[in-house]
Amino acid sequence: MNTIGFKTLLSKETRRFLKVPGQTVAQPVITTALYFLVFGFALGGRVKELDGISYVRFIVPGLVMLSLIQNSFLNTASSMFIAKMQGTIVDLLVAPLSPGELLTAFTLAAVIRGFLVGSIVWMVAAIFTGFSIAHPLWTLLFALMVSIEFALFGLVVAIWSDKFEQLNLIPTFVITPLTFLGGVFYSAHMLPEPWATITKANPVLYMVEGLRYGILGQAHSSPWVGLILTGVLTAVSGVAVWVMLARGYKLRG
Amino acid sequence: MPPLAVETDALVKKYPKVQALGGVSLSIEPGEIFALLGPNGAGKTTWISIVCGLTRATSGHARVLGHDVVADPMAARRVVGLVPQEINFDPFFTPREVLRFQMGYFGVQPSNDRIEELLAALALSDKADVSSRELSGGMRRRLLIAKALVHRPRVAFLDEPTAGVDIALRKDLWNYVRKLRAEGTTIVLTTHYLEEAEELADRVAVIDHGRLIAVDKPEVLLRQHGKKRIRFTFDAPVVAALPARLLALGATLENGGTSLSCPLEGDASEVLAAAAALPARVVDLRTEQPSLEQVFLALTARVERRA
Repeated sequence: MNTIGFKTLLSKETRRFLKVPGQTVAQPVITTALYFLVFGFALGGRVKELDGISYVRFIVPGLVMLSLIQNSFLNTASSMFIAKMQGTIVDLLVAPLSPGELLTAFTLAAVIRGFLVGSIVWMVAAIFTGFSIAHPLWTLLFALMVSIEFALFGLVVAIWSDKFEQLNLIPTFVITPLTFLGGVFYSAHMLPEPWATITKANPVLYMVEGLRYGILGQAHSSPWVGLILTGVLTAVSGVAVWVMLARGYKLRG
Repeated sequence: MPPLAVETDALVKKYPKVQALGGVSLSIEPGEIFALLGPNGAGKTTWISIVCGLTRATSGHARVLGHDVVADPMAARRVVGLVPQEINFDPFFTPREVLRFQMGYFGVQPSNDRIEELLAALALSDKADVSSRELSGGMRRRLLIAKALVHRPRVAFLDEPTAGVDIALRKDLWNYVRKLRAEGTTIVLTTHYLEEAEELADRVAVIDHGRLIAVDKPEVLLRQHGKKRIRFTFDAPVVAALPARLLALGATLENGGTSLSCPLEGDASEVLAAAAALPARVVDLRTEQPSLEQVFLALTARVERRA
């Protein structure tokens, strides 16, 4: 076990995004704050209540989830992809860092970024909607699991991608649609059939619902469903990344 | 017996369209400076990449200080340092930060003294805290060397370490490499500057088309494959055909007949007498020592002819 190596990589990966805070922390906070203003306040005046909760409060968990997903995914995806493109990945590949150490250090740094941005977003929102959290443990658990899952997913995509275009393919065509259709801004219940049923196949829905249960104390699906689903996805992604690193897929010739 | 610094047995690397290595077996002793020479695409970088764990061999084995690079990769990597041929740099960090990280990756507690020492040895001290983006090509290459050595590897692989580095710094680097060897580091280097290999290497291997064609001390290769030559310059062109005994010695007229070049083996008096008998006056006479460059060209040309 190379403890110094692992800690060094974790510190490097964390400092990498902290070096450009405008891009990695401030920008997502501004974007989310704008969503909050536009959807929460401007539309919220018309929608009033959803599931018995004011619309402004209703969208807070969704917005936090949005920033967790985007930031943890982007951190691993951009760091790994840039290292591949610039050739600095060689520094890690020749070093005595095991696949598990590489995986954990990259993932943890991404979770830190996700949590950092996610909690700032929540605090900005909480100034308007109140700081209460119904189930702190569920909230933390969902935030953690989702960050880990998307950090791992970011690694899979970055290792697989040979071009920038491919790297952007997944966020554009998979993550963003699934997130926006996952009930960030609305309750899946409001949709007409067949959409209400189709939406149920979207895993992000259960993640958003899970966090909504944690923060607001109520949701349409059981948090256990979300937890098991996220756990399974995380395990699958974790194994995929581990196998890619252990085999040197697209990394070692 | 202590393990060999590097040992490869019949290393083969096949890509879908080409065979990069066709069974290379090499043994490098601890504390050697070993130079790998060969034309572009000969397989030098592939061989280094396999030994450093960056590429997987199709077949064969590679060991570093007795650790198999596939069966026990972590132990093998701990003792290795690599200067890759392709320049890479991380624009996010300064040379000082990069060296700290690199020490840490190898499980070594980062030490400011060690980092300062390397920055100074590679003439990077005044650039230690600027973004790597601001470094010139030569500085980036030197930073690569510093990165490869900062954790005190016992076996250092330098893949064209002095490409694009100016001549004064190159000499400094050679001295630094000798100092490393004096401290017990084994150095494996590839280079396009044959004088570099001649100057530094204890042993030289010539690889071409993925095959090893010669391994020996430079002086042995020079003796076996290099020819000392004698060159006469005349006051007027020699237009007549050369006498048979000069032709038999392998002499040729050059520069429109104003000079004569002849391989020199053992007895020089016969050549001298024959040249003196030519219908022109000898105005200059010098001997040329064989160079590694000649040997290299002779060896690789032979493979070319066979292929």
